[in-house]
Amino acid sequence: MKGQRGILIAMVVMAIAVWCPAALAGEKVAEVKIGAVLSLSGGAANQGIQTKTGAIVAAEEINAKGGIPALGGAKLTLIFGDSQSKPDVGASETERIIQRESVPVMMGAYQSAVTTVTTEVAERYKTPWLVTGSVADIITERGFKFTFRPNNKAVYDANEQLQAIKTLTQETGKGPKSIGILVEGSDWGKSHATNLRRLAKDLGYEIVLDEAYSPGTVDFSAQILKIKSRKPEAMVIAMYTPDHIVFTKQSYEGRLDIPFGIHSVGAGSEDPNFYKAVPPESVNYMFVQEDFQIDITEVVPWTQPVNKRFNEMLGYGLTAYGAQGYSAVYTIYDVLQRAGSLDKEKIREAFVKTNITSGPALIMGWQKIAFDKDGQNLDAHGCVSQNLKGKRTTIWPVANRPQNLKPVWPVPAWKDR
Amino acid sequence: MDPIILGIAVVNGIILGGLYGAIAVGLSLIFGVMRVINFAHGSFLMIGLFIPFWLWQLFKVDPYVSMIVAAPALFGLGYLIQATLIAPLYRRERAMVLEPISALMLTAGVGLIIDNVTFMAFGPDFRGITMGFASKALWIGEILNINYTRLIAFLASVAITVALSLFLGRTDLGRAIRSTAQNRDAASLCGINVMRIYNVTFGLGCAVLGVVGCLMIPFYLVSPSIGLAFGVRSFITVVLGGIGSIPGCILGGLILGVVESVAAQFVTATSASIFSFVIFILVLFFRPTGLMGMKA
Repeated sequence: MKGQRGILIAMVVMAIAVWCPAALAGEKVAEVKIGAVLSLSGGAANQGIQTKTGAIVAAEEINAKGGIPALGGAKLTLIFGDSQSKPDVGASETERIIQRESVPVMMGAYQSAVTTVTTEVAERYKTPWLVTGSVADIITERGFKFTFRPNNKAVYDANEQLQAIKTLTQETGKGPKSIGILVEGSDWGKSHATNLRRLAKDLGYEIVLDEAYSPGTVDFSAQILKIKSRKPEAMVIAMYTPDHIVFTKQSYEGRLDIPFGIHSVGAGSEDPNFYKAVPPESVNYMFVQEDFQIDITEVVPWTQPVNKRFNEMLGYGLTAYGAQGYSAVYTIYDVLQRAGSLDKEKIREAFVKTNITSGPALIMGWQKIAFDKDGQNLDAHGCVSQNLKGKRTTIWPVANRPQNLKPVWPVPAWKDR
Repeated sequence: MDPIILGIAVVNGIILGGLYGAIAVGLSLIFGVMRVINFAHGSFLMIGLFIPFWLWQLFKVDPYVSMIVAAPALFGLGYLIQATLIAPLYRRERAMVLEPISALMLTAGVGLIIDNVTFMAFGPDFRGITMGFASKALWIGEILNINYTRLIAFLASVAITVALSLFLGRTDLGRAIRSTAQNRDAASLCGINVMRIYNVTFGLGCAVLGVVGCLMIPFYLVSPSIGLAFGVRSFITVVLGGIGSIPGCILGGLILGVVESVAAQFVTATSASIFSFVIFILVLFFRPTGLMGMKA
């Protein structure tokens, strides 16, 4: 018996010895590692690199201001993993970073397909994961305890496009009765169309054209012809960059008049390359559902240094993806401040209690970040911009619209421009 | 369906189909003569699009002028790839009966290399040029508009095909190419340097893409992965028209273009391509050599 008790005491002592430094770590840790799995190469490299840059800018700022006070001024260190735009690589990178680097919190991974699996790995390792950019509904519909998404779900995007139309109708007393839908024929476009159909019905719009096209098409004349013959009063489109370039050029050549405008859900129409490849006149008055408030660096003064630093690093101004990375690091900063510990369970609890209503984490244009029981930020929203005088200007939600700005509604016909 | 709308759809289909035909001509020529399925076809087209893009971007050279650079450049590239990479495969086969799988794998590999080197050099961005002229259209009535650059591309596509047919029919080199296609041993016995003919043929097939790229860039765009979109369509065009037949290519292209354009007026565009494939299968079923192909 005595021997056994001795072993027991030894075990307790050892347990305390092992546990103590970790418990005390809350007071003085030199650095806090944040793991970030992003698409740094492969098809979505462009976006992943922007998110990475945004995250670096935020970490630089936080470290320059003295790190995280609640953790004794610990500095943030970002550990990046490259998903190569592939779900399986993303999952193994997540595993590597959690195990080898023992990070207490992770973020990423832009592509919904990747995030869906990386959050599974994180859930298994009980490591909180802050989603950046992924919109697939399922990510916050699996009852996961460690997944938190500050940004939109896919269904919000469709809703916002129609709500913007509704808001403009209420403001002016003029608006469309019929809507046309043209989407790319793969996953994203089709699910967007499904959401649109359902929501448009609820809002009482008649859908006079409901069309999908094969991605990578050379010619939209058949579709444009169809639009002209069905005469929808507003068009909602979902396209990636290459198709959007061809469509926009051709609808401009063909003088396609849509009285209440073309409403593009951001993807192709958020890509800076898109605007370089089409004549500037061709995108006048086009509406874009944006992931973030595109003109925030002009209306909110404190964002200007962020924009400047981002520009120094990448050669162009802050983008939605860059802002996502920036916002995520500041959200984690806020969480760590409240957790005051590197214990994953404590960090999770702090995530659950998040209620950010001001500060750099809201650079996306949101009014609030707070997570529901599934980890979804119910206050997430994108913005809708209208291209006015060669610039995308936020017109919806009204709270994000610049003062005294009047959206052009209905949009003038080509012959009157 | 409004007959006017239908008529416009046919016109649009013809314009587009001419282009499909011209893109496929090189593939058909190379297969007809060498029995090599060029899997790098889309990649060569991508280079054909990048050359006028950069000439415009850097020196403001009109894409139509760029043809004098793009066509020889692609001819040279094709010639070089055939002479250094594909030719050794022929030499290895004593009877010069090329193993189709190995040539196919080789061209697929060449395509991968070209795509990825371009990707490393220029990144994944989609690029296009914006010329004032390119946004103008020929208006016939209120709704039929044909973009000038597309119209030019169509006319030039037909011209390329006619020129290529004349070249093959009337010149010595053309005759040498045709005789090599018919029977390479006999051609060789007649004193034709078969390997050189192969080099020239491969070069010619690629040079056409240089011209087509210059015709397309004003209304289209370019990125390292752009070739993929044209690969499968070109194969269908070639098989539909008859492998090795130059006029057959244009015919195959026109059929594809018109069917896609007209069908898209009745069903959604993703389903419209079903009709192209149905026609494709029917042709294969009843005329396995294609519409204008010779009996094997």
